Amino acid sequence: METLNFLMHGFGVALTPSNLMFAAIGSILGTLIGALPGLGPANGVAILIPLAFSLGLPADSALILLTSVYAGAMYGGRISSIMLNIPGDEPALMTTLDGYPMARQGKAAEALAISAIASFIGSFIATIGLILLAPILAKFALHFGPAEYFALFALAFATLGGVTGKNPVKTLLAAALGLMIATVGIDHNTGTPRYTFNTLELYEGVDFIIVLVGMFAISELMFFIEAHAGAGHQMVVLNKLRLKMSDIFHVLPTAIRGSVLGFVAGVLPGAGASLGSFICYTLEKRLLGNKAHFGEGDPRGVAAPEAGNNAAANGALVPMLTLGVPGSGTTAVLLAMLISLNITPGPMLFQQHADLVWGVIAALFVGNFILLLLNIPMVGIFVKLLSIRPMYLMPIVTLVASIGIYSLSHSAMDLYFMVAFGIFGYVLRKIEIPLVPVILGMLLGPEMETSMRHALTISDGSWNIFYSSGLSIGLWAIAILGLILPTVLGPLLRGKMNKARQHEGQKV
Amino acid sequence: MLLNNDRIFGMLMLVLAVAYGWGATQLPEPFGGNEVVGPSTFPSILAWILGLCAIYLIVKPDPSQEWPSAKIFGELLVVVVVLLGYAWSLDYLGFILASFACVAILSWRMGATLASAALVGLGTSVGVFLIFDIGLELPLPMGLLGGLA
Repeated sequence: METLNFLMHGFGVALTPSNLMFAAIGSILGTLIGALPGLGPANGVAILIPLAFSLGLPADSALILLTSVYAGAMYGGRISSIMLNIPGDEPALMTTLDGYPMARQGKAAEALAISAIASFIGSFIATIGLILLAPILAKFALHFGPAEYFALFALAFATLGGVTGKNPVKTLLAAALGLMIATVGIDHNTGTPRYTFNTLELYEGVDFIIVLVGMFAISELMFFIEAHAGAGHQMVVLNKLRLKMSDIFHVLPTAIRGSVLGFVAGVLPGAGASLGSFICYTLEKRLLGNKAHFGEGDPRGVAAPEAGNNAAANGALVPMLTLGVPGSGTTAVLLAMLISLNITPGPMLFQQHADLVWGVIAALFVGNFILLLLNIPMVGIFVKLLSIRPMYLMPIVTLVASIGIYSLSHSAMDLYFMVAFGIFGYVLRKIEIPLVPVILGMLLGPEMETSMRHALTISDGSWNIFYSSGLSIGLWAIAILGLILPTVLGPLLRGKMNKARQHEGQKV
Repeated sequence: MLLNNDRIFGMLMLVLAVAYGWGATQLPEPFGGNEVVGPSTFPSILAWILGLCAIYLIVKPDPSQEWPSAKIFGELLVVVVVLLGYAWSLDYLGFILASFACVAILSWRMGATLASAALVGLGTSVGVFLIFDIGLELPLPMGLLGGLA
């Protein structure tokens, strides 16, 4: 009942006219970001953070704007999967399997509508899950001491690569790099300047927003240049929508099953939206067996992964909000946003900023309805935007990213840093070192060091404290598993995902 | 292959780890010091982790990714120079002129014709200026065009 009260209060925050407007703007922007090639959700939210910051939006409006962008981007990703056979982001990969064949059979509009409905169901169910689960987890997390937190941070890095990750050593290396960047500047605990080389600019440390935008936006531009992908892709023609109620009921059970599975995958560390949509698709395929024509344009093959990845995206908010530990790239970017608004996520968030959290959760509901309403009638406009060629789009995106960074402190210095980190990000991506752990390292670094110090101060310098409670031993065990499992399971799962894709490709 | 990407990167990272770790030992003792954990404890651990990962990469590198050809490297260099030039000239030229040049050159280098690149540059720089400076009241530098307003 207490929860319901908070939620009602949250709706009070989310339904004020200005916040409603921000939710609508965010949903539209997010769908665009998700649909446009070369602008994944993480990238899009990253570019918008400094802007939301410089425009001086109040915390709740900024959060509502950016979470709507996040939700919208998950919707938008499917549009290019279906129309171009190119997944907008990794989780949308499975949607291409049946979405593109449907589009080729002249049922693009139906595929888009069904995926929008499945996305809606996925987000809706997962938001309910979030409401039920988050307060419980937050209460539980209050028992965490500094030693447990330290272990939890280690777990976050270890599982970040996900079960499908490639080389765990590279994940670890990337995390170490990020943590090292975080140590630059005045040490919060003692006031000692570290790695500043007596440069005034470095005393405050390196601003993670600059690193974020540089690494994501600028390196993406460089990849586009390298791939000569300026001209864009061939697109399927959009037909007129003919969707009956019975078509919706037909996919309903699939979408609901997908949502529940996806939510669980989103909450668990290391699983994430990619695996969520993959599991939903394969399970549904096995469950329906010969009754369905998966891979040949079965609407249920569109509904399952879409419900799954939207549910997982919302599920991923649970560990991010309650523990302050994001499980994916995009939630890491949302964490960056919280920190830049001076809000520390974690169990205390639900007590100190109850208005804000519940406002955001209510905004997820509101945004979800707006998205469904937008996506059915306006999908034609979004599809048109897909045909904007990257050679015009990418420079504009770069410009908007630069404005955001410039407006942080009105200095060209920040722009130089942005370009430098862009080059660095490009090199890292070239040698297949993931960027997300670097960002996460920068975000979690200060907290992680503080919890380590607190723990060691409590224990008077004895390192035993880090594995003295059952909880912390459990966390370490999961962390170690998270590093080892990918080397065993990773090649297996990735092989299966590729095989599924190639297999379907032959049929088309 | 002896000189694999991962191997070269591993060596660079090893150097960084050693330098960073050495830097940690040079940090001054905090005032009133003698605490169990000082400002150098955490960096030392990081130096070890980075060093061990780097050694792993040197010993057991992944197969090398292909690097772009010299021509594409040239293209990338142009992009970097354009972006740096943008940062350098922004305050002097002002937002509209600098953005016009930046967007136009970038979109030309990505394959647009000169005329359409110029058009996109013009439309974007003016449009974005109107949206952000006037619409959203985010002050952007006027630069050379400052006299006109």
